[in-house]
Amino acid sequence: MSFKEISHTADVKIQVCAPTLESLFSETCNALMQVMYGPVRKGIVKKEIAITSTDTESLLLEFLSEVLFVSEVEGIVFSDARVRIDGLNLHAELAGEPFDRDRHALGTEVKGISYSGLSIRQDANGYMVDIIFDV
Amino acid sequence: MRVPGRFFLSESLEKILEPGAVQQLANVATLPGIIKNSLAMPDIHWGYGFPIGGVAAFDLTEGVISPGGVGFDINCGVRLLATPLAQKDVAGRKDLIETLFHAVPTGVGAKSAQKVTGHVLEQMMVKGARWAVDAGLGEENDLLRCEEGGYMKEANIKEVSSKAKQRGIPQGGTLGSGNHFLELQVVREIYDENSAKAFGLYQDQVCCMIHCGSRGLGHQTCTDHIRILEGAVKKYQIKLPDRQLACAPISSPEGEAYFGAMAASANYAWANRQLITHTTRNVLKKMFGTGYEEMPLVYDVAHNVAKIEEHIVFGRKERVCVHRKGATRSFGPHAPDIPPELSSIGQPVIIPGSMGTSSFVLRGTQGAMEQTFGSTCHGAGRVMSRTQAKKRLSGKDVAARLALQGILVKAPNEAAIADEAPEVYKPSEDVVRVVHDAGLSLLVARLDPLGVIKG
Repeated sequence: MSFKEISHTADVKIQVCAPTLESLFSETCNALMQVMYGPVRKGIVKKEIAITSTDTESLLLEFLSEVLFVSEVEGIVFSDARVRIDGLNLHAELAGEPFDRDRHALGTEVKGISYSGLSIRQDANGYMVDIIFDV
Repeated sequence: MRVPGRFFLSESLEKILEPGAVQQLANVATLPGIIKNSLAMPDIHWGYGFPIGGVAAFDLTEGVISPGGVGFDINCGVRLLATPLAQKDVAGRKDLIETLFHAVPTGVGAKSAQKVTGHVLEQMMVKGARWAVDAGLGEENDLLRCEEGGYMKEANIKEVSSKAKQRGIPQGGTLGSGNHFLELQVVREIYDENSAKAFGLYQDQVCCMIHCGSRGLGHQTCTDHIRILEGAVKKYQIKLPDRQLACAPISSPEGEAYFGAMAASANYAWANRQLITHTTRNVLKKMFGTGYEEMPLVYDVAHNVAKIEEHIVFGRKERVCVHRKGATRSFGPHAPDIPPELSSIGQPVIIPGSMGTSSFVLRGTQGAMEQTFGSTCHGAGRVMSRTQAKKRLSGKDVAARLALQGILVKAPNEAAIADEAPEVYKPSEDVVRVVHDAGLSLLVARLDPLGVIKG
């Protein structure tokens, strides 16, 4: 697991580290799904998402907001996200399974992804982000 | 900072004040058109955008409106339903808690038992709780006992995206998860006999408290409009310390669009709480033979909302935009929008505790009108993070401990119980004592939990 929860009083704050920007996005998506549904997931349903935004932080926020929307409306619990980023354009191939109350009711509903403190940083080891999910 | 921050705290609550919350209160004080103070209620804690427990009023000409001052869960709020039952009727009744848990859809992925069409959804967004009452899912008197009569007239459904509508359709009458709950409580102590009687409360009476909001429809509306307002921040050259405070002048097209969509989402939340009320009444009717007229609504308050209200500002009556994020309206005697029979008392203020601690009913005051734009606290306020709660506490142990105290808990999973254990919150008594002593609202009654369903 390359993400961890950081103490935040009201909400869920996640710190993700990854070698590439694409894997950072993918892991943050994975963290979102884990917070909402717990760890038990398979990848039998496919879904594609395309996003264009104004900066990298917004690209991440809008990607996760779209995942949240699709997951809720279509009832899919995603297990994997293959992300391609070209400038400020994102294309993601997601894999998941239909929501099953017996197996996936292990987490907390995420209401939204917050801009508060959202900053993607890069150093010699790769990329890192702290992000707050409102629960 | 354009105005000073002002905290309402006790010495013990000051000791647990987080630097992150103070910073967020300071951030609010930098927003254009803020009037008098950036205000912190005693349950203030670190959130995103505004702190939770934050109140700020803005000038309608110079000021801004921000989704960061309302939150993702637009019109998250709480209502209290009276019953004619006594503690002995419901104490230890696992079957009652189980029945309520299965009747009210709760937790992640829960879908509505109601058939909501596109037309019905529109009615929910336009008419709020009024829609439910017109559809036979409530009593006319319920509307009199709702803030705003159960709906904001400024709703503009054209500003609610199709994505938000798609999320709203399957979730009417669902509770949600996190800190949302439905709780059976008993009135344990009365502090103010006259007000309690007017509110319809008496010693040893069983009540039902419902805490939830606008579900995915409101969450999506917040997400959509923050994106639009990000553009407005550039257009109107507003400098922000936090992107989550994205905002626009109240009278700008972007500001008006958010306000209309927010009001529509707030109405959906009132309709939602009305649906849950109807489901609860049906369960109690079936199990105890209680008539609907014997289960009147005490009151319903919003605690995440922005409203245009009239207040005295530096000696003059002015219309301002009040943002309450994790704060409750506390209008005093003879203020507008109070049920006529309660006009001399002030509006009922409902403050939930945690699942092991007391909740309180208070009444609004002139002191709140003068000091906080008619606002008070909204709950106990978290003190322990969810990460710490999960590490330190087991949901099973918490439920067992509460059972020994006579409190039954039912949730979709054990983590949800640990997440919301009594010790993760500030003592609710400490918080309401501060607002009582500061005159922001006055104690009327204390209610203790008997049975809780968590989302």
